[in-house]
Amino acid sequence: MSSSTPHALAESLCILTLKSGIWVLFPITVVMIMVGILRHYIVLMLQSPPKKQPRAAIREQRALIRSQIIRATSANSPIPPTYYKSISQHLSQAFADGTYLKDGPPKGDAPAPTAPNPLTDPAAMDGMMAGMKTQMVMMVPQMVIMGWINFFFQGFVLIKLPFPLTLGFKSMLQRGVETPDMDVRWVSSLSWYFLNFFGLNGLYRLILGGENSADSSRDMTTPFAAAANIAQPGQAQDFNKLFKAERDNLEFAEGLYSWVGKDVDTRILKKYGRLPGEVPR
Amino acid sequence: MDLTTSLQKLAAYRPKQSQKSKETFEKGVALLEHGGYLKQGDEGWDALERLALAALDQDNLEVADRCLELIAERFPGSPRVDCLIGIRMEATESPDVVLKYYDELLEADSSNAAAWRRKVSVLRKMGKVDRAVEELSALLDTFYTDVEGWLELADLYASCSQYVPILLISDAQNLMSARYTYALQSLSHALLLAPQNPSHFLQFAETAYLAGDITLSLKMFLTVVDMTDDDDGDVSPSDSIPTGMTLRAWFGVKLCTRRLLTEPRLLTSSGSQTPAPSSSNISTLDDLSTERLRTAYLDIKNESPPATEKELIAVLATLIK
Repeated sequence: MSSSTPHALAESLCILTLKSGIWVLFPITVVMIMVGILRHYIVLMLQSPPKKQPRAAIREQRALIRSQIIRATSANSPIPPTYYKSISQHLSQAFADGTYLKDGPPKGDAPAPTAPNPLTDPAAMDGMMAGMKTQMVMMVPQMVIMGWINFFFQGFVLIKLPFPLTLGFKSMLQRGVETPDMDVRWVSSLSWYFLNFFGLNGLYRLILGGENSADSSRDMTTPFAAAANIAQPGQAQDFNKLFKAERDNLEFAEGLYSWVGKDVDTRILKKYGRLPGEVPR
Repeated sequence: MDLTTSLQKLAAYRPKQSQKSKETFEKGVALLEHGGYLKQGDEGWDALERLALAALDQDNLEVADRCLELIAERFPGSPRVDCLIGIRMEATESPDVVLKYYDELLEADSSNAAAWRRKVSVLRKMGKVDRAVEELSALLDTFYTDVEGWLELADLYASCSQYVPILLISDAQNLMSARYTYALQSLSHALLLAPQNPSHFLQFAETAYLAGDITLSLKMFLTVVDMTDDDDGDVSPSDSIPTGMTLRAWFGVKLCTRRLLTEPRLLTSSGSQTPAPSSSNISTLDDLSTERLRTAYLDIKNESPPATEKELIAVLATLIK
């Protein structure tokens, strides 16, 4: 015993704990998988179905698409000039008058509508609450598991990796075991928890399919992304302003307009070799 | 199939008693007997829906009801099922009852496009064309991207004479062209939404022909030719044989050029102010289309085509149908 170096001593201690380590290694993994799956189903239950929008709101949102569609083909438009002009000018007029606005055309002297405060707007509040709920479902079980591991298995060494590693991995694999001399190949319980935490996503995808919400490491990397995503549509866009801007685009597209059928007669005749100019293939 | 396209398909459903539905029906019933649908997962439910529609098409209400029961049990409250139930009701209930059903659906969710479309088609079947046009226009004003809807609106305008604003009715000729002008406007929206589809162009050209706008029609027919002839193949276009849509378009070109050559008045009376091609181009196009039609005739019938133009047109008119 006196001849053994501290290093060897640690090694033999590790082998001792390794035997019990097997009984910790698998429970941690199994518990984490179970919690992940449970979390997936809880999130599914918490998700409220998307709110149905009234007809007028949809009309307002989609009005811009109309102008985008007519602009998309304007340089080689499929429709003849009179029809193009009538559609384009009708749209432009409607945008100017605010026909497509949800609440009807704006009054002349009414103050410009300000974007509602997301904290007082109940619609936006719902979205934020949903984000918070998901966050809670993620945070709470992870905190519980981490506390459980820290309390019962602190300093446990669970497995020995079958390959050598450099010293740099020490902080990754031996968290919670502050022993400078121990071989890097030993993995501590807390480190095993973190490895699972970041590595189980692939397994969840196998079990629950691609669009699962079991993986908590994703939320961890972008803590407020989920909440921000949901809050976004709640933010009021000023469609009146958007419509006014779109009028310029429409005018520009009208300048570019040319009908696909404008010279189609000459084109066909050339193609069929009835007109000099282009040699038919 | 995602929800939007399925809903659109359901919305555009119309009983046709087609051969295809018969096939679907016969195959489907055998599967239904063995409970084969339930084992297939999501695809099975899709197939079950198709079977229900096919059964309705074949007037077999018993099978349709069985399918519906299974589907409704699995997906309670789904808008797609609501729509299917509506279609089932259309088969037996009076139009008023069905209309009320759709109205209720729309009241619960005013943005239910599928129920809205079904309502239009019920209105149309009841003969209330003016209300159908009104509803469909409102629907398209909200859901602009529904190509099928625009085509149906064009069809409604072209097939009915009741609904034209009173101001425009001064004489019969005006009435006709006003109808078709409205149809053309609807079709132009369909063209904008799906500029890659030559069949919409063909429909536009044919409607323009009916509206008496021959120069516009000619240009549109030529555009169809330009789109559909196989100019990427090995044979040069002038040696190819027009078939299908190209043949139909050439036939249209021929009709247009003939009318333009015989009635010079039409050159300048275009409702859309479409300038006519130069007179030399028109006569060359006339020659070219005759030659194309003869080639096609030779290919289909394997005999030399009739000598006179009139006969050729008459014979081809029966072939193209």
